[in-house]
Amino acid sequence: MQLARAAAIVVLVASASAYADDTAEVSTQLFAEKRDGGKGGLTVIHPQADFGVDLGRYVNLAAGYAADAVSGATATVYKVDAVTSATKFSDTRQEGHLALGFQGRRSKISFNAMVGNERDYLAHAIGGDASIDLPGRNTTVALAYSHSFDQVCDKDNGNAMPLEREALTGADPCNKKDGLFGKDDPGVTVWHDLSIDTAQLTVTQNLTPTTNMQIAAYGQVLDGFQSNPYRRVQVGPSSPQEHIPNERARWSVTARLNRFLPKLHSAVHFSARFYDDTWRVVGGDVELAYSQYIGNSLLIRFHARVYQQSAASFFKDAFFYETQSTAGEYYTGDRELSPVRDAVVGMKLTLISIKGDKPVWGFLDRLELNAKADVLLLDQLAANSNADNPMGISNEFLYGNSLLDAVILQLGLAGSF
Amino acid sequence: MRAIIILVTLAAVGCGRTAVRASEKEFLADKVMVFDSDPHETDADDHVMSNREGAAGGHGAQGGGCGCN
Repeated sequence: MQLARAAAIVVLVASASAYADDTAEVSTQLFAEKRDGGKGGLTVIHPQADFGVDLGRYVNLAAGYAADAVSGATATVYKVDAVTSATKFSDTRQEGHLALGFQGRRSKISFNAMVGNERDYLAHAIGGDASIDLPGRNTTVALAYSHSFDQVCDKDNGNAMPLEREALTGADPCNKKDGLFGKDDPGVTVWHDLSIDTAQLTVTQNLTPTTNMQIAAYGQVLDGFQSNPYRRVQVGPSSPQEHIPNERARWSVTARLNRFLPKLHSAVHFSARFYDDTWRVVGGDVELAYSQYIGNSLLIRFHARVYQQSAASFFKDAFFYETQSTAGEYYTGDRELSPVRDAVVGMKLTLISIKGDKPVWGFLDRLELNAKADVLLLDQLAANSNADNPMGISNEFLYGNSLLDAVILQLGLAGSF
Repeated sequence: MRAIIILVTLAAVGCGRTAVRASEKEFLADKVMVFDSDPHETDADDHVMSNREGAAGGHGAQGGGCGCN
């Protein structure tokens, strides 16, 4: 369900892509996460394909497809010992998007639409983005906006109070009209609305002949059903469906810097982000990377990133929901809303072929083969006092107690012609 | 909010300046100087992180490098 939540962000970023030539790109990502509970880990296979063509000098059209095939273990109830109640699940998400762009000498604008389909989540987004080079062509200002009209399938709990609500199960039907819109099944399941407005302002600036930087300000407002309909939380003797606020506003500011090192034929990259939202999740990350050319056709990049966030104001360690009560009227077992720090280290290889006397593979101007591997480390933190929690937090999530949490492998092929 | 104002002001100070001449953009035009030069990688990374972390957003528009559309 949450996989589709990122769709608006993906559209926002993808729509900002420029297609100066006809392009084609395909890639597949494998994400494998360790999970306790004897039901295996979590595996996500994420293929993507995008194509862009110029329709004359000023117009271009882009289309893309992405999917997620998810399988693995999940927790039934957020509680002190969630590990022993682990169950297996699988799901598939598919998404298609289209973009129509217009470009001039110094500016461009594009309009895009996206549709996402999952068993229990439907996403429909429209958006646009525009950018302009300021005089001197050392500064680019870009603005992007998208609105997503999403629908989330849920158990029909009627007018039940939150602590009486039952969670959706995999056996419940989530019917659809034409595969695009939710269709209620009164007394069994209903579809809730979720609207997501996302905007981003980006300024990219050349500072010197070897240095450039970018500053991005991002804001998003979500209004509607945002709980995981499957997730239950142990609150005292009962385990009702998770209950979190319907409104959330979030913003972040990111600064990035690239510096080319001509003597080494390499570059260093730095990025820092600060994030805040109305649920009191405050986070930040810092990323460092180094790119090194080996000859003219092989590029190696090493990167490392660290991230930390505080808990949402209504998140509690499971012991305190169980032995005390809710946080106000809310309760959640969402790891994204817990205090956590994580890190990513990895490397990427890019093999670049540029046409010489003959086109690459007989028809391409340029071809890039990418291979990337990342290792993800995770350190779950306590939201409440450890001294008051005799049960600890080590079994409230399935994510295990070891620092090594997941690996990501990605293979991609990008060509222009 | 104060952080946004400071950062945007800092960026605006540089806007419009002829910091780099066209003839000096050889290195800036290199692939490694382009922010988010691989959109699929950016999308896939955002996708993973947005399902693991509470934070969202931050990647700006693709581009940079030569500083031209």
